[in-house]
Amino acid sequence: MPAREPVLTETMPTLTINGMTVDVPQGTSILNAAKEVGVEIPHYCYHPKLSIAGNCRMCLVEVEKLPKLQTACSTEVTDGMVVRTDTDKVRKAVTGVLELMLIHHPIDCPICDQAGECGLQNYYMKFGLHKSRYALEDKVHKKKVQDIGGQIVLDAERCILCSRCVRFLTEVTGTRELDFFSRGDHSEIAIFPGRPLDNNYTGNLADICPVGALTSKDFRFKCRVWFLKAFDSICTGCSKGCNVDAHHKGDILYRLKPRWNDAVNQAWMCDFGRLTYKAMNEARLLTPFVRVDGERKVAAWGSLLPDVAFRLKAAADKGGTDRVAVIASPQSSNEELYLLRRLATSLLGTKNLAFTHRVAGDGFADDFLIQADKNPNSRGAQLLGIPGGAAFDAMVSKIAAGGIDALLVFGNGIGVHSEEETAALLAKVPFVVQVGTNEGAVSKAATAVLPSASVAERGGTFTNHAGRVQRFRAGFPARGKAKNPIEILVSMGNRLGAGWTFAGEASVFAAIAGTEAPFAGMSYDSIGVSGQAIRS
Amino acid sequence: MSVVFSDAARAEFDRLLTRYPEREAVILPALHLAQKEFGFVSDEAIVYVAELLGVSPAKINGVATFYTMYNRKPVGKYHVQICRNIACSLLGAEHLIEHVAEKLGVKPGGTTPDGKFTLSQVECLGSCGTAPVMQVNDDYHENLTAASIAAILEKLP
Amino acid sequence: MTRAMETVITTHFADDGYRRIDTYRGFGGYDALRKALSTTPEGIIDEVKKANLRGRGGAGFPAGVKWGFLPKDLSRPRVLVVNADEGEPGTFKDRLIMDRGPHLLVEGIAIAAFALRAHLSYVYVRGEFVREARVLDEAVAEAYAAGFLGKNILGSGFDLDLTVHRGAGAYICGEETSLINSLEGKRGWPRLKPPFPAAVGAFGLPTIVNNVETLADVPWIITHGGEKFAAMGVEKNGGTRLVGVSGAVNRPGVYELPAGTNLKEIIYTHAGGIKDGKALKAVIPGGSSTPVLRPDEIDVSYDIESMAKIGTMAGSGGVIVIPEGTCMVRALSVLMNFYAHESCGQCTPCREGTGWLKKIVGSIEAGKGREGDVELILDLCDNMMGRTICPLSDAAAMPAQSFIWKFREEFDRHIGEQKCPHGNRF
Repeated sequence: MPAREPVLTETMPTLTINGMTVDVPQGTSILNAAKEVGVEIPHYCYHPKLSIAGNCRMCLVEVEKLPKLQTACSTEVTDGMVVRTDTDKVRKAVTGVLELMLIHHPIDCPICDQAGECGLQNYYMKFGLHKSRYALEDKVHKKKVQDIGGQIVLDAERCILCSRCVRFLTEVTGTRELDFFSRGDHSEIAIFPGRPLDNNYTGNLADICPVGALTSKDFRFKCRVWFLKAFDSICTGCSKGCNVDAHHKGDILYRLKPRWNDAVNQAWMCDFGRLTYKAMNEARLLTPFVRVDGERKVAAWGSLLPDVAFRLKAAADKGGTDRVAVIASPQSSNEELYLLRRLATSLLGTKNLAFTHRVAGDGFADDFLIQADKNPNSRGAQLLGIPGGAAFDAMVSKIAAGGIDALLVFGNGIGVHSEEETAALLAKVPFVVQVGTNEGAVSKAATAVLPSASVAERGGTFTNHAGRVQRFRAGFPARGKAKNPIEILVSMGNRLGAGWTFAGEASVFAAIAGTEAPFAGMSYDSIGVSGQAIRS
Repeated sequence: MSVVFSDAARAEFDRLLTRYPEREAVILPALHLAQKEFGFVSDEAIVYVAELLGVSPAKINGVATFYTMYNRKPVGKYHVQICRNIACSLLGAEHLIEHVAEKLGVKPGGTTPDGKFTLSQVECLGSCGTAPVMQVNDDYHENLTAASIAAILEKLP
Repeated sequence: MTRAMETVITTHFADDGYRRIDTYRGFGGYDALRKALSTTPEGIIDEVKKANLRGRGGAGFPAGVKWGFLPKDLSRPRVLVVNADEGEPGTFKDRLIMDRGPHLLVEGIAIAAFALRAHLSYVYVRGEFVREARVLDEAVAEAYAAGFLGKNILGSGFDLDLTVHRGAGAYICGEETSLINSLEGKRGWPRLKPPFPAAVGAFGLPTIVNNVETLADVPWIITHGGEKFAAMGVEKNGGTRLVGVSGAVNRPGVYELPAGTNLKEIIYTHAGGIKDGKALKAVIPGGSSTPVLRPDEIDVSYDIESMAKIGTMAGSGGVIVIPEGTCMVRALSVLMNFYAHESCGQCTPCREGTGWLKKIVGSIEAGKGREGDVELILDLCDNMMGRTICPLSDAAAMPAQSFIWKFREEFDRHIGEQKCPHGNRF
């Protein structure tokens, strides 16, 4: 049956559950009503974003006046309903279902990625703790370790046949590459031979699978989940700004999982976005350096920052402000872009300010989450008065024509230019300073490279394509000698006489909210964990 | 190596579509049609039916493997399906199955080397009053004895 | 109790021509439809309620009451679906009706559809009944040609389209919501209820699902009146039943008898008693899913309420007679194989439980049973009953429980002696 959205009406039915009462909107299931008063009803097949299946039978509860136990996920609360989940009858039922679910389950825990976040493990510890009454040699065996395409490995033997994956592929992606084959206890989830998963959202299958039947290829055997910590972040793969939980051990990221936000990405994210964490681990710029006679020479922040600021100003003074240019990045936060704009326009006095775009032969978009703009903060740049598009192209022409003496570049690349094209372009500029996170075309040609903290190592906000301002947080301190770009900008600004006293991203955002109309009245508080729309 | 319905089968398929308010209701009849046309429900047959209806092959395979009458592997010219449920068993079905297995030289589930007979044990065929019962391809044979089964099988061309 | 030996359904089944429309009409066929179309849908539903017509598929739900569940609002078209998926072991009456009296069924469908204001109907015939589906198809074609189906039936303004739809081998599709899913082209998984088919059924439309025999009773009820039908049976189970007797009897077959006929009489008088002069050992009274009876329990009225009172069911009218000398463990093993084979796999307790029951009972029969296996079976049955979306899980558990309760020593002997005392034979 389709998931029913509760409806707010004047009458809110009252449920009494384990002695506690709660009023809920018409259409609320017992399962969700119970959550309101802290009663956890075990379940596998129910998922708030998918239709109701009611087939795992774990959520059985006792409803007064009804002779049979009812599934809490599929039973709507009616006024005056009395439910108990703490009776012997319910406990025996839940244990009974769990036992039956486990009789064919392989003893894979030692090698199964799901260990530590496994529905069967969790409920077994809570409701099972029974000895197996089923002979090991009688277990039904099914196909293990199947690469079924996308980002997923299927182990059919571990599957509890909850049908979440089939429902997801039917209701969310509409591609239905997985289905149940055969019947009875030989039922098995599989793809049709030769027809692997073929959509951009396969990674979500590993999230919704309660057990280790569908797991992530990328994450396979990499880390035990109890070693991982999580922090709130925003995916930087495109301008959708899917909310994510970033998982890390120390200063290495292991995976991204969607964080629920009904206003942006519901409970999902795309496969491309899932892998964006890799760039935060690999090929990072971690040491400031300068290029002398074509060779890299390590430099110290203490001397390099003032030097860079001085040389930018000097170029403006000598040849005129029009000979200085600033390329902003749509990967920068609202806070960083704001400071950069003030640095460029007020302190350096140049009009040559534009943000680069990265469409990189991609530009693919769909009617679900994927946006054509593969940057998280183009909208933020625009709203903060930094132009892109034609203005950027004009600036690149100016650089190519030899009209720029000093260039400050944020980001790892310039537009869609290749390494050779970038090298040729930057060769026209005597002094190029980069603030970037990863090795690439720019770091191979720049005069001075200032390593930046990644999105995982700093805090700030992005404005997504729809104008939603969302916070991302630092999960751990910047690696190596990389620095928070806000620090870099404040330091440079103050070298140029800005007199800035900003002490972190929150204070910069407060300034934005004070002077930039679209952000008027906002604060980190009002943005909260799920973001806030700009004033239209 | 794809398969295609004959004109007659395609006409029947099109006719079936007119009998239901939703296209996918023809999936079961279409699979029966495919089995008749192509001998069994092969991978190619599944892809073909899926394409006709605009659904994924996985979905069609899910349906085809749920129901016992769709053969996902080829069967012999004659599919000898002997009921082994309660009424037939009470009247000696297990002896008959053993007897036929021995006579044909195959185990239940197997096919004779010449491809003529596949022997299966099936569940209740819904004719318990004339047990023991078997179904050979489309036809029921009832009130069976070892002798009558032998006679029936011998007569099959 | 006076018994009218009048038959409702099988009256003319001996005539091979009865399946052709001319012969059928010669016996007054389609007169009931003509009469029905001149009355009102409400009137017909009333008559069927008066008839105490209980569903003949196994659940025994009052047909008139079920018909009343359709919404009053006519904005969404209604569908009448006929359950001809006869798969309950021991049941073989609907096959007889389709083969020998297909027009009787068609007429019953047409009258019911009129009463339900349904213009679309499907007969879901189990896949194995190839011949019966063909016979029915021919009858349907004849009915269309004669104007008893199709547009403006008999000038009444009532339209009805009927399609024969074949299943493909799945006992579970006898459950009405599984049948509906199968009709829609899906795997035969039963649906969560509510919503019930009367609210959301085939293709999302309000749907009534009725058994073949139930609908075959309708023309007679229209012709003779509901009260007369009710009077033929007993208080809460009107009319006649088609009882199928199978197993070790001298005259197995279908017997049309008034509801409330004594079960012992059914076995010994009508079906000629036990074959080969053997004694009776056990009776499964209403299809394989119903709790088994010992010989001392069969002196009972064969009607829905009376059977329920003694802890079993009249079910689908399939009486399976088990003679002395039968190994009850082996018999149960056959049934457990059946349910494991037929479980659709949707719900955990049934999917895993039926397989487990099959393994334990099978190992007991093979002489490999262990101490505690019987208690394990009973505990497993407890975990399987009342826990699932549809009653197949209960249908597997009830025989297991009743065989153990009533024939416990046989199970204990198998386990104690580590062999089958009957030599692994029936």
